[in-house]
Amino acid sequence: MSIEVKNEYGKIDITNDVIAQVVGEAAIECYGIVGMASRHQIRDGLTEILRKESFSRGVIVRNVGDDTHIDMYVIVGYGTKISEVAYQVQSKVKYTLKKIVGMPVKSVNIFVQGVRVTNL
Amino acid sequence: MKSIDGLKFAEMIKMGAHHLYQNADYVDSLNVFPVPDGDTGTNMNLSMSSGAKETEENAVAHLGQTAHALSKGLLMGARGNSGVILSQLFRGFGKSIENEATVDGVKFAAALKYGVETAYKAVMKPVEGTILTVAKDAANVGVEKAATTDDIIAVMEAVVEESKASLERTPDLLAVLKEVGVVDSGGQGLVYVYEGFLACLKGEELPERTIVGSMDDLVNAEHHRSVQGFMNTEDIEFGYCTEFMVKFEADKLATNPYDESDFRQGLSQFGDSLLVISDEEVAKVHIHTEEPGDAMNYGQKFGSLIKIKIENMREQHMEIVGENYSTENTAQKPAVKHPYAVVTVAMGSGIANLLRSVGASAVIEGGQTMNPSTEDIVKAIQEVGAERVLILPNNKNIIMAAEQAAEVVGIEAAVVPTKTVPEGLAAILAFNPEAEVTANADAMKEAASFVKTGQVTHAVRDTSIDGVEIKKDDFMGIAGGKIIISTPSLDEAMKALLASLVNEDDEIVTILYGEDVSTEDASTMVDYVENNFSHTEVELYDGKQPLYPYIISVE
Repeated sequence: MSIEVKNEYGKIDITNDVIAQVVGEAAIECYGIVGMASRHQIRDGLTEILRKESFSRGVIVRNVGDDTHIDMYVIVGYGTKISEVAYQVQSKVKYTLKKIVGMPVKSVNIFVQGVRVTNL
Repeated sequence: MKSIDGLKFAEMIKMGAHHLYQNADYVDSLNVFPVPDGDTGTNMNLSMSSGAKETEENAVAHLGQTAHALSKGLLMGARGNSGVILSQLFRGFGKSIENEATVDGVKFAAALKYGVETAYKAVMKPVEGTILTVAKDAANVGVEKAATTDDIIAVMEAVVEESKASLERTPDLLAVLKEVGVVDSGGQGLVYVYEGFLACLKGEELPERTIVGSMDDLVNAEHHRSVQGFMNTEDIEFGYCTEFMVKFEADKLATNPYDESDFRQGLSQFGDSLLVISDEEVAKVHIHTEEPGDAMNYGQKFGSLIKIKIENMREQHMEIVGENYSTENTAQKPAVKHPYAVVTVAMGSGIANLLRSVGASAVIEGGQTMNPSTEDIVKAIQEVGAERVLILPNNKNIIMAAEQAAEVVGIEAAVVPTKTVPEGLAAILAFNPEAEVTANADAMKEAASFVKTGQVTHAVRDTSIDGVEIKKDDFMGIAGGKIIISTPSLDEAMKALLASLVNEDDEIVTILYGEDVSTEDASTMVDYVENNFSHTEVELYDGKQPLYPYIISVE
């Protein structure tokens, strides 16, 4: 699956893996996000924090007709206001994709898979 | 001062929150990271106000309990990135001293530092050059200072001083800040909070509105915002970036009393990107205008002009974009015919005329299967000569191209993602020439959502979709994008479509008949609707569209 952008010179295909990587990078820069999680919690172990190279296991890019939807699975830091952190991620992801890929997304859905409690 | 208790701390919070509130607009103006939406000050102020309110209501002499109230209030009211970070900073601060009734300088600084550590723990990839950096640097210096003095005021002074110095360094750490020429907005917000703390400890009053050198930052941020809007030099409407200061004179004020918001209002007629900051003695003005002289004459009514700077932005812009400017350039540009245009897409001359008749400024006539490209849409917008535009694709396959056209056209543009002609018609009828582009787009989108669309078209091959068996050359009835019937009889397809779309709440059925349908047949269809759905009004239009014998809209 990939995103297709057409312009006067031809078309550009961006694979979902690339989108997932871009989206994941944008998300972990957001305050309150301590990591990306796998969407298969049971199979991949509970709230294991994904390494960079496997972000695509925690970011789903769905192409429905001409619309792009993004589902992302994240782990937040304990003590943060989760609703607000999630909203920040949504807005950052939307902005980043528009800026870097020139691609509007229809929706960004955040699934909070875990809260990391530090011993502080 | 050797120590503070909970009541003193509550006063500090109140003053910090108030000082931030006083300067929230300025913090907003600096906001370019992580997303340049200009709401950092607003968000931080809402978060801090919520913290201050909770603190005030629950303030006791025991510091730990008061700090706990603060962190609760901050958590409940946290808004935006900066608000969440602020709440974490004080959550850590409160945790570190939860069992202390009072603290001295050493414990106070240690608590600030613990707050920073807590805040850093809640992010995987801390971005330096933000509020986090400012908090960290300030706390570290506070800890150092506390080791050398037992005066808590001296510790807070060191914290404030370092927070300001760290704020000045933020552009060296975060590229986007340097690009725009501003300091970090969240960091600036934190500095205001700390300044409030210090003033409270010292028993000083803070100025109601600060004016210090902030004009430059405001101007930078303002330019950053406006530069993004220009693609071509000839698009610059107000060509002179004009800055001047008015030194008030008593005799002039006697006839023209100065009021900042009236003054701002008075200047706004001359251009845009207007900034006004004033205190008792002077007013600083920044404005983009085509008549710098008129703006300055206006300022002179209140005093004498000092420090005048006027720059020709067209010249500067040409240097930036490196184009060879010539007067012919502007000559070729179409005159502004529709300052606020609606550009839409249609198949069939009848439908195109109908769209124009309800208010479309331009209709791009896509051919049989030819969907207009981004380029076609941009060209149509340019031919209309609009300053602001709303684009209605009326087809889900064109929405993407429309979005891209809005992106590159270089004027204020928004897409109303209409998927069918009926949706487009409903959206245009909701257009309000007085409203902002985004507000309009939202209202039009909503109007479009109330319309149900039905279409009848030919099947091009044998297949099965949505569980419906389809034979080549059948007529397919499509209700809201879903195929509900496939039959060799056009009438039967229409009747099934009407039965599935129209319910007792609906009032109007509009029928657009295509180029392959005779006027007689269409009239027969109108009679059918009037007889079978007597509670509705029926409207009939000769759409002349290809491929779709009938398009109906029900609302």
